Amino acid sequence: MKTLSLFRAAGLALVLTGLANGPALAGDSAQAQYEDMYQQAKAAQKRAASVEGEWRDIGKFLKKAQALAKKGDYEAAFKLARKAYIQGKLGYTQALSQQKVDWPSYFK
Amino acid sequence: MLKRIITLAGTLGLCLSLATPAQAGPKEDLARFQHFYLKRFPGVPLKEFANGVYAIDKVSRENWEAIEEFPPYEPYVEEGKEMWNTPFKDGKGYKDCFPDGPAIKADYPRWDAASKRVLTLELAINECRQAHGEKPLKYKKGPIAILTAYIAWESRGKPTHVVIPDDPDARAAYERGKRFWLARRGQLNFSCATCHAQNAGKHIRADILSPALGHTTHFPVYRSKWGELGTLHRRFTGCNKQVRAKPFKPQSEQYRDLEYFLTYMSNGIPLNGPGARK
Repeated sequence: MKTLSLFRAAGLALVLTGLANGPALAGDSAQAQYEDMYQQAKAAQKRAASVEGEWRDIGKFLKKAQALAKKGDYEAAFKLARKAYIQGKLGYTQALSQQKVDWPSYFK
Repeated sequence: MLKRIITLAGTLGLCLSLATPAQAGPKEDLARFQHFYLKRFPGVPLKEFANGVYAIDKVSRENWEAIEEFPPYEPYVEEGKEMWNTPFKDGKGYKDCFPDGPAIKADYPRWDAASKRVLTLELAINECRQAHGEKPLKYKKGPIAILTAYIAWESRGKPTHVVIPDDPDARAAYERGKRFWLARRGQLNFSCATCHAQNAGKHIRADILSPALGHTTHFPVYRSKWGELGTLHRRFTGCNKQVRAKPFKPQSEQYRDLEYFLTYMSNGIPLNGPGARK
């Protein structure tokens, strides 16, 4: 039982770490890192939308990120794009978890 | 021996029927839904749910009744009547598309077997306009809300009676609408049911969450927050935004299916649109 709980905790930690750090960054310049993150965030947004799970602010974050990148503030732009990426992943997971939803217990 | 086999088969059959719950259909859903609210708000008659939060909160009701003395939607009803009676460029009018009009609100939403989709009043209006060479109206506010305010006014008192025909496509649309209503979405991870069933009657900041039963009877609605009339799909959009989900387009398949399910859940409750809300 204890081993099982440990495995679960380790799994959860891995998931949380993955979400907090986002995907591995490519390229060595701040611009390349931002552009890579932006592309990954766009893909995550598209994936969430494909299951009707897109969250409200993803588009807004990406738009703001693009504006910041235009001004050369790649660090701030990267942070926003990563936020959009995480929300895209979560929206997708949420929508999948709700596909077979039925009447909740308080209705029964 | 034969008697033993029959007894065994009978017992087995009974066990199986107990183990596998009967497939719940729209009728069972309707009974479950309405029972939930009648039990949650004892003493509130079914028809009273047409008044939304004003059916369950005395103070809000007093304010609302004061507003209803000079209804903010009244001028729109008059304007909508004018729209209804104004002929199209080809000399025809809405009456040519809707011979039973203007009191046709209770006929929608309905399953359109020919096009295999849920047909809402707003969609039917725009299809009528386009068939007569007119531009379609935008779906959230403005002329469409004004015209449907007049139609709703003329339809007052008619009971909600949405039909889910014995057609797998219609049933699928109903199920999609039901799933939409039950599914958690957005960053806040709320479903329609979270606010308007599980927490109906409770406070969300200074507001009281309205019961979903009767939600569809009073649209289009004049909301003080909007300062104008808006359609049901405009409200859906707002609700989705509030839970931080990306809303769908008004009259999208998602919202039409949702309207189909939600209106069916209010079957038996009289129409009382247009309404006035906070």
